[in-house]
Amino acid sequence: MDYKDVLQTFLAETAEHLGEMEEVLISLEDHPGDEEAIKTIFRIAHTIKGNSSCMGMDSVAHFAHAFEDALAHLQDRSLLATGRSVALLLPAVDGLRQIVARAAAGDDRALPEEEALLARIMEIEDDSTEPTAPAAFQKLDSALARADHRGSLRVDTGKLDRMLNLASEMIIARGRLRQVLGACGLENREEVAQPVEAIDRLFLEFQDSILKIRMVPLSPIFRQYTRTVRDLAEATGKLARLVVEGGEAEVDTSVAEHLRDPLTHIIRNAIDHGIETPAARIQKGKAPCGRISVRANQQGDQIIIRISDDGAGLNRDRIIEQARLRGIIADPSVLTDQAIHRLILQPGFSTAERVTEISGRGVGMDVVCRNIEAIRGSVEISTHSGEGTTITIRLPLTLAIIDGFVVGVGDETYVIPVDSVTGCLELVRSAEPGGLINLRGEAVPYVRLRKLFRISGDPPERESLIIVRHEAGQAGFAVDDLYGEGQVVIKPLGKLFKQLVGVSGSTVLDNGRVALVLDIPALVQESALHYRSI
Amino acid sequence: MEEINEPVDQTVYLGFYMAGEEYAIPIPRVKEVVECGHITRLPTMPPCMRGLMNLRGIVVPVVDLAVKFSLAETALTRWACIVLVEVDLEGEPTMMGIIVDAVSQVIEIADREIEPPPAFGTRIRVDYLLGMGKLDNRFVLILDVDRVLSIDELLTVCSLQTEEASLSTPAMPAY
Repeated sequence: MDYKDVLQTFLAETAEHLGEMEEVLISLEDHPGDEEAIKTIFRIAHTIKGNSSCMGMDSVAHFAHAFEDALAHLQDRSLLATGRSVALLLPAVDGLRQIVARAAAGDDRALPEEEALLARIMEIEDDSTEPTAPAAFQKLDSALARADHRGSLRVDTGKLDRMLNLASEMIIARGRLRQVLGACGLENREEVAQPVEAIDRLFLEFQDSILKIRMVPLSPIFRQYTRTVRDLAEATGKLARLVVEGGEAEVDTSVAEHLRDPLTHIIRNAIDHGIETPAARIQKGKAPCGRISVRANQQGDQIIIRISDDGAGLNRDRIIEQARLRGIIADPSVLTDQAIHRLILQPGFSTAERVTEISGRGVGMDVVCRNIEAIRGSVEISTHSGEGTTITIRLPLTLAIIDGFVVGVGDETYVIPVDSVTGCLELVRSAEPGGLINLRGEAVPYVRLRKLFRISGDPPERESLIIVRHEAGQAGFAVDDLYGEGQVVIKPLGKLFKQLVGVSGSTVLDNGRVALVLDIPALVQESALHYRSI
Repeated sequence: MEEINEPVDQTVYLGFYMAGEEYAIPIPRVKEVVECGHITRLPTMPPCMRGLMNLRGIVVPVVDLAVKFSLAETALTRWACIVLVEVDLEGEPTMMGIIVDAVSQVIEIADREIEPPPAFGTRIRVDYLLGMGKLDNRFVLILDVDRVLSIDELLTVCSLQTEEASLSTPAMPAY
């Protein structure tokens, strides 16, 4: 590991630490005297001090040390415990962030205004009449000792991907070994079967534990928005707090990466369009400070994230009016609430009366929707006029593994994600080529995968029809064989294949062959295009 | 065998056959040569993209350069091999396989024995070549892998193949 790698790690960790510190400081505003919170702030300042002096960043270490002193000073005077000094401490966090950035760029000096910041904190006059500080300090030493031995490690996800690849190859090799043993008639001999079984168990556990390494908790991601909410609200003359609930839910690191941009858009929208000004809120009988809550739950193999605000809610009439102006809808009376709410997910759609710095340009919600759908998730909106809006995001826990339905066409094997399959049935070839099948009274269009993918040869006498669900209903894909269901590890295809329609990735099957994983929404769209052109 | 007394700048190449002609790639560019296993077909991709193979858990695209050069498709005989090279695809280092009829030998060619490709007369386009290596009384064509294995080159179909493809398979699926 060279200095650049170490620096990257240091910067990433410090950014996380500062974010956490901000969140705790803001929580102190609401819960003054929270001893755990105060300890956390000290611990973070201490950790940054230690790490930065290891990095030889004297300016950062010095500032962090002074910051610790300032905190201790406030602590002595019970100011920190009252939470009143948060407004002063937040700029110091900003100062620390700037010094770190400068030190990383090679300029290891603190600016005079940053020194002044610390001096100001030290000089705060205690005008509170509260009794002496709580005994947060006493346990601090042991907390600090613990903090230095967390035993965590940063690993490049590329290396984990490689491990996952090797683990799945081991499982394939295991399959071959079984075949060979079977061929020699050794498979059922106890002295052979036992060790083979033991290896099987170990392989599976190994794969499982690699997948677990890739899972990251959502709370650090949610926490990053605490400061955003506070500052954005301030910039728009409003008051708002972010409340994080259930942040211990974990998702695959690649899912977490895809979540950042959508969350930013949603939270910005909530503050800009949802939360009202304090005066308007008081008039409506609400607390002056708006509340945005982010909640994450795991449900089966999905993670459900709800972002709720207690603001004005979506204005149904204005959405309809906008939609009519744009010619998206003709007759609003036939639209359900959900359909109307989905309108705001359309590109370029905005109901904001004015375009602000933060949002209102109509870009945002459609991007949110697209980003989430790109990773097999969904977005739903529910709103009550005057009471607020809730946006629900559903995401798969991991992008690395899916439950797949393995099908065959000619010599080729394809994998269809199980979550889009609604059923299978036998297709006996009829005289007419027909592209429609009657499924319990519903006319479902179908297409032969063989034709769509231009695979040569004739389909067998009896084919199987996989019925899949898509946005506008159901569709069928005729295949030669059904090989069954199983978990597959998805390997994304590189840039060369970005134009490959109907395929979302690849996987290596138990027999060591590569199979394509089908992208059902894209495939349905592609089939529809072909239909139209006939 | 001529006696070499003074040090000569020379490069080591891997020689292989495609459509009856001998080609070469500088050895440092070759990651590995593997036996030709199962190749999974890719729908709707240009015919020179033979498909995907499994290289110890990594999914690697396999290219049939003979098809790219408008020559006959490489047959999967028992001598057929896949030469693995790493190329930079728009900033993404990507492992790619080139399917060849057979690997011939490791060839040492002195840099001064390499001539620029002729203006015409080769069966493949001159700009796919880095040069021609003179070896005894024959020539080997030295491939410019970065040029041939670029996204632009791999995704453009030459006109001849489009005609062939449209003759053998219907342009529109029939239902």
